[in-house]
Amino acid sequence: MLIPVAVLAALLAVALAAWAAVFAIRDRAVVLRQLWGAAVVEGALVLQVVAALLLTIRGTGPSDAATFWGYVITALLLLPIAAAWAFAERTRWSSVVLLVAAVTIAVMQWRVVQVWTGE
Amino acid sequence: MSTRTPAPGAVPARSTATGPGRVLVAVYGVFALAASARAGVQLLRDWHEAPLAYGLSAVAAAVYWVATVALARGARAVALTAVGVELVGVLAVGTWSLVDPAAFPRATVWSTFGSGYGYVPLVLPLLGLAWLWRSRRAADPPPAASVDSSAPPPAG
Repeated sequence: MLIPVAVLAALLAVALAAWAAVFAIRDRAVVLRQLWGAAVVEGALVLQVVAALLLTIRGTGPSDAATFWGYVITALLLLPIAAAWAFAERTRWSSVVLLVAAVTIAVMQWRVVQVWTGE
Repeated sequence: MSTRTPAPGAVPARSTATGPGRVLVAVYGVFALAASARAGVQLLRDWHEAPLAYGLSAVAAAVYWVATVALARGARAVALTAVGVELVGVLAVGTWSLVDPAAFPRATVWSTFGSGYGYVPLVLPLLGLAWLWRSRRAADPPPAASVDSSAPPPAG
């Protein structure tokens, strides 16, 4: 249950990263539609938290709880910060920030799965 | 680069925290968060397994926090010091971990030049120094259109 959600979140994050990369290359700032895309990725991350909580309550939680929750909660914070910066920085660099956030989330999903299964 | 829209409001144009600097602050912030979370877990739970490696992780986390805050607030001297310490740290710990792997039974952010983090820890201080250098030059008064900017503007 958790691994499919992590894969989904990673794929969505990669798609968002590609979108942001195109904007960064074209020297464009983040647009509102991309923030809706970011909200979809964030939704998948929230789903992951819910899934992890349910599995933990059922007694099949992560093998390394502290590290797992560290990753999951950090991943939740990234896109809201990138979105806030998208409003403050109306240049291509907001697209680069969104790109960095999305790539970080995709990489973190890989680690989340590793930590969940105990590598 | 930032020719699309002028900065709204009275944001200082050459702050270390805007434009490309924002990306640096973001990446430094992620590393600060990641390194301190990791160091915290390791120090509290597994301190005895690899005190040197985990201690260095904590040092790295502190350096990343200082760099993040200094870049975000435009404290150039502090940022330069933090980024410099970071560069020396990643080079020293990277070399040390290759020469004496037994000292590092557990990985740190900086061991083997940050290979566990895609070598970002090695590239980041170089980008940081480059950005501090570039934004410092941009902090000079903007060059006038004429070649000799000290000459008085032509009358009329």
